[in-house]
Amino acid sequence: MSNKKYWQSFGELNQTENFQQSAEKEFKEELLPLADLDDKGILDAKTPRRDFLKYLGFSTAAATLAASCEMPVRKAIPYLQRQDDIIPGVANYYASTYVNGGDAISVVVKQRDGRPIKIEGNELSGITKGGTSAQSQASVLDLYDTTRLRYPMQKDGKDFKESPTFEAFDKLVGAAIAGKTVVLLTGTVNSPSTLQIISEFLAKYPGSRHVQYDAVSYSGMLLANEATYGKREIPSYHFDNAKVIVSLGADFLGTWLSPTEFNKQYSATRKISGEKPEISRHIQFESMMSLTGSNADDRFMHKPSETGAVAVAILNALNGTAASFADKKLNDGIKLAADKLKAAGGNALVVSGSNDVNVQIIVNAINEAIGANGKTINWAITSNYRKGIDADMTKLVDDMNSGAVGAVLIQGVNPAYSYSDSKKFIDGLNKVIGVSFNATMDETTEQCKYVIPGHHWLESWGDAEPKTGYISIIQPTINPLFKTRAFQTSLLKWSGGSTAVAAQTAKGDSAVVTHPAPVSAIAAVISKGADYESYFKNYWLNKLGSADNFDKVLQDGVFEPATPLTAAGATFSGAKVEEAKAKIAAVKGGDTEVVFYQKISIGNGSQANNPWLQELPDPVTKVTWDNYVMMGTDMYKVMYNKDVLTDKGASDAYEVHPEKPVVKVTAANGKSIELPVLLIPGVQKNTIAIAVGYGRQSADKDKTSDNIGKSAAGAGQNAYALVGFDGTNQYTGTVKIEKTDKTYPLAQTQVHGSNENRPVLYETSLEAFIKNPEAVLEEVNKERLEITANESKDFRNDATLYPDNMKEKPGIKWGMSIDLSTCTGCSACVVACTAENNVSVVGKIQVQRAHEMHWLRIDRYFTGDMENPDVIFQPMLCQHCDNAPCENVCPVAATNHSSEGLNQMTYNRCIGTRYCANNCPYKVRRFNWLDYTGADSFPDNQNPLIGVDMNTTILQMNDELTRMVLNPDVTVRSRGVIEKCSFCVQRLQENKLNAKKAGDPTLIRNVKVACMQACPTNAISFSNVNDKESDVYKIRNIEHKHRNFYVMEQLHVLPNVSYLAKIKNTEREVAAVKEAEEKGEEKKAEKAHA
Amino acid sequence: MERGKKKDMSLLKYESQLREPLVDGDKDYHQITEDIVRPIEMKPSRLWYIGFYISVALLLFGVYSVYREVTYGIGQWNLNKTIGWGWDITNFVWWVGIGHAGTLISAILLLFRQGWRTGVNRAAEAMTIFAVMCAGQFPIWHMGRVWMAFFVMPYPNSRGPLWVNFNSPLLWDVFAISTYFTVSLLFWYSGLLPDLATVRDRAKTKFRKMFYGVASFGWSGSTKHWQRHESLSLVLAGLSTPLVLSVHTIVSFDFATSIVPGWHTTIFPPYFVAGAVFSGFAMVQSLMIVVRKVLNLQDYITLGHIEAMNKVIVLTGSIVGCAYLTELFIAWYGQNPYEWYAFSQNRANLFSPYGWSYWLMMFCNVVSPQLFWSRKLRRNITVTFFMSVIVNIGMWFERFVIIVTSVYRDYLPSSWSTYYSPSIYEIGFYLGTFGLFFTCFFLFAKYFPVIAIAEIKSVLKTSGENYKVKMTDIEKQDAEKFYIDEVAHAH
Repeated sequence: MSNKKYWQSFGELNQTENFQQSAEKEFKEELLPLADLDDKGILDAKTPRRDFLKYLGFSTAAATLAASCEMPVRKAIPYLQRQDDIIPGVANYYASTYVNGGDAISVVVKQRDGRPIKIEGNELSGITKGGTSAQSQASVLDLYDTTRLRYPMQKDGKDFKESPTFEAFDKLVGAAIAGKTVVLLTGTVNSPSTLQIISEFLAKYPGSRHVQYDAVSYSGMLLANEATYGKREIPSYHFDNAKVIVSLGADFLGTWLSPTEFNKQYSATRKISGEKPEISRHIQFESMMSLTGSNADDRFMHKPSETGAVAVAILNALNGTAASFADKKLNDGIKLAADKLKAAGGNALVVSGSNDVNVQIIVNAINEAIGANGKTINWAITSNYRKGIDADMTKLVDDMNSGAVGAVLIQGVNPAYSYSDSKKFIDGLNKVIGVSFNATMDETTEQCKYVIPGHHWLESWGDAEPKTGYISIIQPTINPLFKTRAFQTSLLKWSGGSTAVAAQTAKGDSAVVTHPAPVSAIAAVISKGADYESYFKNYWLNKLGSADNFDKVLQDGVFEPATPLTAAGATFSGAKVEEAKAKIAAVKGGDTEVVFYQKISIGNGSQANNPWLQELPDPVTKVTWDNYVMMGTDMYKVMYNKDVLTDKGASDAYEVHPEKPVVKVTAANGKSIELPVLLIPGVQKNTIAIAVGYGRQSADKDKTSDNIGKSAAGAGQNAYALVGFDGTNQYTGTVKIEKTDKTYPLAQTQVHGSNENRPVLYETSLEAFIKNPEAVLEEVNKERLEITANESKDFRNDATLYPDNMKEKPGIKWGMSIDLSTCTGCSACVVACTAENNVSVVGKIQVQRAHEMHWLRIDRYFTGDMENPDVIFQPMLCQHCDNAPCENVCPVAATNHSSEGLNQMTYNRCIGTRYCANNCPYKVRRFNWLDYTGADSFPDNQNPLIGVDMNTTILQMNDELTRMVLNPDVTVRSRGVIEKCSFCVQRLQENKLNAKKAGDPTLIRNVKVACMQACPTNAISFSNVNDKESDVYKIRNIEHKHRNFYVMEQLHVLPNVSYLAKIKNTEREVAAVKEAEEKGEEKKAEKAHA
Repeated sequence: MERGKKKDMSLLKYESQLREPLVDGDKDYHQITEDIVRPIEMKPSRLWYIGFYISVALLLFGVYSVYREVTYGIGQWNLNKTIGWGWDITNFVWWVGIGHAGTLISAILLLFRQGWRTGVNRAAEAMTIFAVMCAGQFPIWHMGRVWMAFFVMPYPNSRGPLWVNFNSPLLWDVFAISTYFTVSLLFWYSGLLPDLATVRDRAKTKFRKMFYGVASFGWSGSTKHWQRHESLSLVLAGLSTPLVLSVHTIVSFDFATSIVPGWHTTIFPPYFVAGAVFSGFAMVQSLMIVVRKVLNLQDYITLGHIEAMNKVIVLTGSIVGCAYLTELFIAWYGQNPYEWYAFSQNRANLFSPYGWSYWLMMFCNVVSPQLFWSRKLRRNITVTFFMSVIVNIGMWFERFVIIVTSVYRDYLPSSWSTYYSPSIYEIGFYLGTFGLFFTCFFLFAKYFPVIAIAEIKSVLKTSGENYKVKMTDIEKQDAEKFYIDEVAHAH
């Protein structure tokens, strides 16, 4: 044996102690956690060799990743010093108030990372009680409107140039208006602090005055109230106290006065509850099909010129005089209305949408006669929504033209567009110093010499008093985006308001003493000088008495009487009634008459550049982006010799082609517009209806898109010019209507109006429902039994060949219930869904091609008598079927079912075969046909399509500024993928996490999806249906089980959205499905007989 | 008795006199080679160039249309929220159907030992391959995100792993079409080998020698090669036969397994297969009538061939007609209100918006093929050509009717659609596939033997006209001899 020694290290060679130790432990050594290496350095640590590969692997992979994938640079600048109340990724909510003209809705603003992104109703408000409207929901987008003015400007030739500083601007304007008669022209102002500032301002300028102007006027009503009650005010209406509601053309659920408030009240009277439910009786007299009319139990039609006569007839009928119109149905309706009104014993209400003072006087007389004054009409609390008097405006325009006025300061109104004689107004404006406070460049601002843009309400401090004693506070939720200034601040500055502010500040100081902490902050602001913020804070500190109170009001957003004031009447004077009757009798009608109305989306046109509203389909006509001549089937038959009611070919042809014939409408004042004809049943046969608020146009036509806005440009025609004017705005009149050779494609989202006798919706009359609650769904239940094996009653599990997999799932199972009885079709939910879920706006051309993206839509069906049909609105969204036909056809499993019953969409996985959309019986899946969001893999592929396939509104929506409205919790979908309602899964997750954190599963009941939260009538309920205490469980199984149905249930797709059958309070036969069936049978019988 | 047996044996060598010859004219083996290979060796005619350039132009327009659609989105087409599929899937199903005749001729008729298939099988198989290539374009490019199309492949991945949805008929399509294409291509190419070798052997230029040399995989014509070739042909024929039935069956599942009224019809699988064969044969007719004229191959593609295919057309056309009436009857009898509405209103009602398409389909597919009960018309080339075009128009409308008239008014009346007509890019895509198809076909006709030389030679001795004449003479002599030997002698 050789003595040769093989050694690997000196340690081994010398057999040192160290070596021996380590050799013994060679394989026992434990790996140290990385933290242990910290103080020693990697090479000195005990185990560098073993970790070497790990480090190598990690660093190589990291280096490869870092080097090979070019990541786009995204700038996210963190807060240098984070504010206490901002946690990135967590939303904050602030109470505020949506204001627009005289409209005011108490809201809660959702703010994410400093950006307001969503409006919710403020449940603390005693007026709107958490309800919102489509317009208020959409107004958050106005904040990010690209056409907002960014700095004060003065006219320089034809264009404007920027004024360098506010001070310079103040000097300029101060000099310009000094010594002149100043008129402050605003919309209805219901802000108490602003009104005080205005009065202080006017005091500084002798001879000056404040004119309030409403684009759509309620002047007739104010004057009528003055004539009969001695007050130029509008009382509060209590629809919730009314058992009988008669509306003479007042669209109180859509646009009349305060629709959100009235929706809330109305729905309270329409809720079905208990064994013998009682609901209000709603009778509508009108000339066109309004949203309110389409909700009425009974609806009667008359010519617009007969509005007064109908009112008089009702008044007479109350005394037993029968009406004598040529139309027998109308006479019956008047008798019915009078009988019901009399029987209601004061719990009745008559309202009229007319701007004719005489009609309103008669309406007041009716209300007086039925005892509504003091019961459903409350003079103790007056409404401050509208205060404009038409004659004031006429006088102002005359004064401007005659030189009696030196300067006009304009805030929040746009008479150059909406005044019926806009040319005269513009001429006058050019003769005076015009100063505009409007936030965007509009037709009026274009004509002004000085422009100092105001804040958006989301950037403002302020207050509103929509009803006397009911204050709603506006607080800013974002710093002003641009160099804008509250118009109240300007007034303070120009009235040399330092004294007023000083006085206020002095008063405010008393509060400082008692509450040093919060008020010191306020005092700091105050010291800045005369601005509205400090004025406002002082104003309220004084009123509220302490900073604590102020903070509480700020947090609540509202300041209201602790107990609601009891309703009180006012003394009625019938002196003018006979005179009004005589004047009404003298009214002469024409062969063709027109009604001008507002759409619930665009309203008076102030939000015309809001793409969400422009793309919101009108609930009745389902048309977007345009106004049109609404025409009944009779007039269409006369004009075009096609009877769509009997000739299926003609109705098909009308329906399937978006191109509609264009007519020329000439008003009595000689002005004319050309608009496409939209056929809607239920429009009186001598009447057409045209919506105002469209056709916004810059003085220089080519600049409309830049100045007024990309979305407003090209949307419809301006109908204000046709509005008759004789000191009172008359929204009706005689017109001439002529055919043209042109056609125009209307962007309509629903073209077929009949439910084709399909089990899509059910309705019945109250009487029938009380008699036998099960009758309404008798057919469905019978069919369930027929389909189900062995006559089992378990339709869900036994009507299928498939085994157990359909069984109920434990844990959470989300479900929704929608009450068709209380849904009025107001469409607030549609806009809320759009805002919450970043639903794309696609523009007019794309809607014409049926490419709209709405996740939630309101389907509208006409039933019954096609000349005066019943209308049902049915919110339709993804039904989240448990046996979803869309899921099994997707080749890549991009849509699948969650364990909580959600039908989920994985956008990343979707390759866009559209098979799911084809296979969806509810047609709720939406495909991204083009690059609507700019989130596409192909950059810059929108521009080449602009004008051909896309409207410029796409660019507006994808502007850096506008994109600030996006909800960061929801992915923006790219082109080529399918999307659909997710049941607001981001809200569900948040809610679940909150419940988990709190350790309280019952908190899951707090969840609110966007549509449900926006709904002013609480028609939508949503909850975990496995929870027996949840709303939806109770609705489906206990409270409303007799009305509960699923749309086309027999397909056995097992939807998770259920509906409640509609109940109408009328003696007519109203069963939607049954009626059609019977008709079909009759026809068959007739044929057999023949 | 013994003599009689002998006579039977001799008669087995050739076909009955009652059958028409499959190869006309005084052909021998060399003449066949000459006739079929000549077009390959000659410069293409003016007509070929014109046709080829038109095809390429159409193809380029198609490429541009697809480019538009991929870059800007499916919104370049006029589909909408209600009508998710229109011309895209209509064309897909139409082209797949066209492909069926090729496989039927080459596989099923091979198994059934139908000698007449030899005249048309090569071109029909080529047609199958090109048609399937065209068909495949539609499901690919109709995807909203075509760059993610590989998601439909079930490959191992690190996404979970995330697999495809094996429940989806669209996925079955992926497998069905790709299998069909692969087998058809193999079948076609393996049949080409001996003929390519023939062309190689006659080649004079170096390039041609190399090209056909490589293409023919070193075919030497040895007995071993032939033996393997025959076996392979039979195996592939065996594989293809079920594919003829399965491919269109699976395509029909796209509709039949859905819940759309008008799609959800259990009769679809057989009805689609019959329709596919119907349109496939019509397309073969259209092509062969032109090819035999242009390439002067009337002796190989005879009136007998045309008549045989017309018989298939009238048979399958009638099957399709029965299917139409059956589904109409079942829609009524089944009492499903949605289905009955789809049939009675969307389709059969001539005055409904798409009623015209249903009745056009009925006329083209059911009424017009009935002309072929007349032998005279079956053998009339002009009528046949005209009819083949009519049939393909009819079959296109069949798919259009099924797809569009079902979805445009399906379950929920609120979503009923406006009138759908294709955009220029939808039409362009369709024309583009015509361009692809004819470009391929022109190249094929120029560089490959359009008739299977080896196979046609195999039937020459039994069904060639001159051989039949010769055999008749022999038979006649035989009979005379018999008469002299047996009958006369007996006397």
